[in-house]
Amino acid sequence: MDNLISELKSRIITALNLEDVKAEDIDANAPLFGDGLGLDSIDALELIVMMEKFYGIKLADASQGKAIFRSIATMAEYITKNRTK
Amino acid sequence: MCDSVVITGCGIIAADKIGSASHLDFPGFSFPVGEVNYSDKELKYLLHIPDSQLISRTSLLGVYAARRAAEDAGIVSETADRCVLVSGTTVGGMDLTERHWQDIDNHSDVMLQHDCGACSDAIADYFGFFKQVSTISTACSSGANAILLGAELLQSGKADIVFAGGAEALTKFHLSGFASLMILDKDVCRPFQPDRAGLNLGEGAAYLVMETAHHAQKRGAKILCYYRGGGNACDAFHQTASSPTGEGAYLAMSQALDNAGLQPEDIQYVNAHGTGTVNNDDSETAALNRVFGNSLPVVESTKSITGHTTSAAGAIEAVLCIQKMQQNSSWVNVMNNSFGFGGNDTSLIFSSNPYCSDKYKYDDGIEIETLAKSEITSEDDLDDIKQFLKPSEYRRMGTILRSSLLTSLRALKQSGIDMPDVIITATSLGCWNNSEKILDNLPEPMPTLFMQSTHNTIGSNIAIYLKCHGYNITYTQGRDSLQRALDDAGLLIKSGRCKTVLVGLHEETTERYRNLMKANGIDQLPSLYSMSMVLTAKK
Repeated sequence: MDNLISELKSRIITALNLEDVKAEDIDANAPLFGDGLGLDSIDALELIVMMEKFYGIKLADASQGKAIFRSIATMAEYITKNRTK
Repeated sequence: MCDSVVITGCGIIAADKIGSASHLDFPGFSFPVGEVNYSDKELKYLLHIPDSQLISRTSLLGVYAARRAAEDAGIVSETADRCVLVSGTTVGGMDLTERHWQDIDNHSDVMLQHDCGACSDAIADYFGFFKQVSTISTACSSGANAILLGAELLQSGKADIVFAGGAEALTKFHLSGFASLMILDKDVCRPFQPDRAGLNLGEGAAYLVMETAHHAQKRGAKILCYYRGGGNACDAFHQTASSPTGEGAYLAMSQALDNAGLQPEDIQYVNAHGTGTVNNDDSETAALNRVFGNSLPVVESTKSITGHTTSAAGAIEAVLCIQKMQQNSSWVNVMNNSFGFGGNDTSLIFSSNPYCSDKYKYDDGIEIETLAKSEITSEDDLDDIKQFLKPSEYRRMGTILRSSLLTSLRALKQSGIDMPDVIITATSLGCWNNSEKILDNLPEPMPTLFMQSTHNTIGSNIAIYLKCHGYNITYTQGRDSLQRALDDAGLLIKSGRCKTVLVGLHEETTERYRNLMKANGIDQLPSLYSMSMVLTAKK
């Protein structure tokens, strides 16, 4: 799980161009949207693309992302349970 | 002397139901669309255009609708006087480009039909009587803004007859893009319904023939209805989402009413933008309630029939509005809403009663002064964006968005103006770097790139950063793009509609694009060019 969490941190930094953020600065339990990293709906779509590309998880509805992308930890948990690659 | 603007002809082509795409070759794409029931070949046959002629589907649809409009208004070359074409498109010739993209080096001539301005030129060339062509690209409000500009050109005496509208063909490019934004419904869309689940894309074209009442009477033309007023405002909230309060939509509708000399209760029917996405319909409902309160008229969206025809929507729905008004004798004033990506929101009002006002009288004697100007010609300068923005603020912006915002902020700072009244953008090619990446990866979804692939991303990015809710428009007319933008700035300042205008010319190209254009004999295109200037009336 820890490996997946650090992998997700660096993938998110690259995918969302968070050039001023370092992986070690991200708290795996902090909210990704709103106060935490300050991501928005387009970032959520990029995370959906990322889940499909790297972990073979396809979401049919963007609103499903809300619970999954609450934090890096919840994302890692969901990926571990549902990954197909 | 004040003269009302009349509509003397309408031409339209659109789908009459939502179904699966059959003319667009896009295997694996499962969402329903509103597709026009003619192939390119059939359209060419109907229009007597040689099958061998390289012409985009956007242009073919445009020619079809404009020809209908000309017939309806009885315009032939002898009666055309100073006749201007104002056309909206965003997709432009993308259908040709994407069809040939894998082998584009052997089809470089396709690129001459690619840009939006070239598509309008192809429409104008078919008729041969247009003295000027102007292309507006504000995504899904392009057609409505074309009508708005058409009225301005007539009221200021710059034209005798205007064909105003828009054309847009379905493409894999924007179907994939909208799919990646996850806002397409797999069934027929259900605007304003609680169970709505997204939009259906459509295609088509429509044009209104507009002229002054005096000109129409002089040539004995029948008058279908009157253009009564319009409003253009920017939501300045997000590139692809509308604000929860519907600020841009509220401002556009309020300005249209003010411009038309009407009160909310004077409107009997609103053809809403009503795309069927959860976000748009919530935001538009909030705005409608703010404008109309307890006197809400009949509100309807026709997008479940035509699909969302994006740049053509404003014009297609204007024609539908006019037809509905003619069928319903108790409807005197009807409103048409069109909202685009980046919050480019426009509202138009048509009426069975004439109206004109001297409130904004065009005065050609007013001189225009440039308060400040800033230019960028190299990517090396882009680092200076850090002087104005935090990395989290520019992290998503591609090259042209950074250069356009930077020159804008520099010019504003230099002129001592925090907030311009109006933002006018000129670009011949728009966000080409992102468009090329999307073409290379079709049909893979790329939400961030798609969100920044429309021409009006540039102007709305500036508006979103400044939180500028004023008039916001984008002109794309090849080498004349800047001239069109300056002409509009002149119209607005000289008619007293605004005091300060931020005008910019922004272009980016890739090496690949430059090579393709070199093969067409067009050389020395810059890889990056941004220029912003602040204009005002000379004291």
